[in-house]
Amino acid sequence: MIDDAKLEALAKRLGTTAAERLDVEKTTREVLAGLREAPPRRRTWIEVHALRIAAALVLLLGGSFVVTRLIPRGGTEIGSHPAHLVADDLSDLTADELRAVLDQFDEMVDSTGVVSDSSDLRELDAQELRAVLRSLEG
Amino acid sequence: MAQPHVIAAPSDAALIAAWQSGDEQAAAELVGRHARALARYLSGAGAPDAEVDDLVQETFIRAFRSVDRFRGQCQFRTWLLTIGGNVLKDYGRRAARRKVVPLDESVRDVAGDPHEQTVASEAEARLAAGLKVLPRLQREVFLLRAQQGLEYQEIAVALATTAGAARVHYHHAVRRLKEMLK
Repeated sequence: MIDDAKLEALAKRLGTTAAERLDVEKTTREVLAGLREAPPRRRTWIEVHALRIAAALVLLLGGSFVVTRLIPRGGTEIGSHPAHLVADDLSDLTADELRAVLDQFDEMVDSTGVVSDSSDLRELDAQELRAVLRSLEG
Repeated sequence: MAQPHVIAAPSDAALIAAWQSGDEQAAAELVGRHARALARYLSGAGAPDAEVDDLVQETFIRAFRSVDRFRGQCQFRTWLLTIGGNVLKDYGRRAARRKVVPLDESVRDVAGDPHEQTVASEAEARLAAGLKVLPRLQREVFLLRAQQGLEYQEIAVALATTAGAARVHYHHAVRRLKEMLK
């Protein structure tokens, strides 16, 4: 088996051909040309901190946007329909609107074909009430 | 009688400072000092011969552009070699995307090149092939220690590990390479 000294000697010889072949003058010229193309730009302390603050703001605004898009606005979203109904509560209707609603109701009851001498719902029997309800379901 | 005035060569740190203040010649001097060592390291780490020049250039450009991050925690050459390792890794990724034979799976075709055939011994070729199958950290620690002659503490700082861990990686690498070379 190869010993440590021989292994190190071999390692020291590794790459010597590539090193000898390297044209150092040309490498220097190429490196300087590369550096001239885009010289190092040193960031100042203020620039670094301004970048960090800007990154934090972007994260904050982006996060807020995502949250508002993903989470429904509980109160208004869920309550929008009930709120609409509340607005249309009978107590909010004018006298003329109430009369129109009652007329429509009478028409519906009449259209059910329920035979009754009275249009008062309290005087209808169970079967007649079911017929009215079915007509209201459409 | 007056003593001959000897001008000491500027240190790497002085050249880095000069480059940071815009002295292009300082950068040229640093390239001249370290280019061959870097080429040797990259070649030992598995860089194809045809790519060594480009990889050396890319390493220097990357190093000079990020030289503000070098705070003298280790020697400039050690820091440069670790950047070279990253450049080589990126090259390997690009090569894999282009469907070129991946770096770690390729074995240098020594027999196909008459020049290399005369220069590279069989043992060297086997060592090069063995290094390519080692984990990256083991390979880099082995090369920094055995090829570049660095101390474990220096290697540890450059690779962001401990001297003890670097020593362990080195011994694992040596054990595996010996098995491959026997």
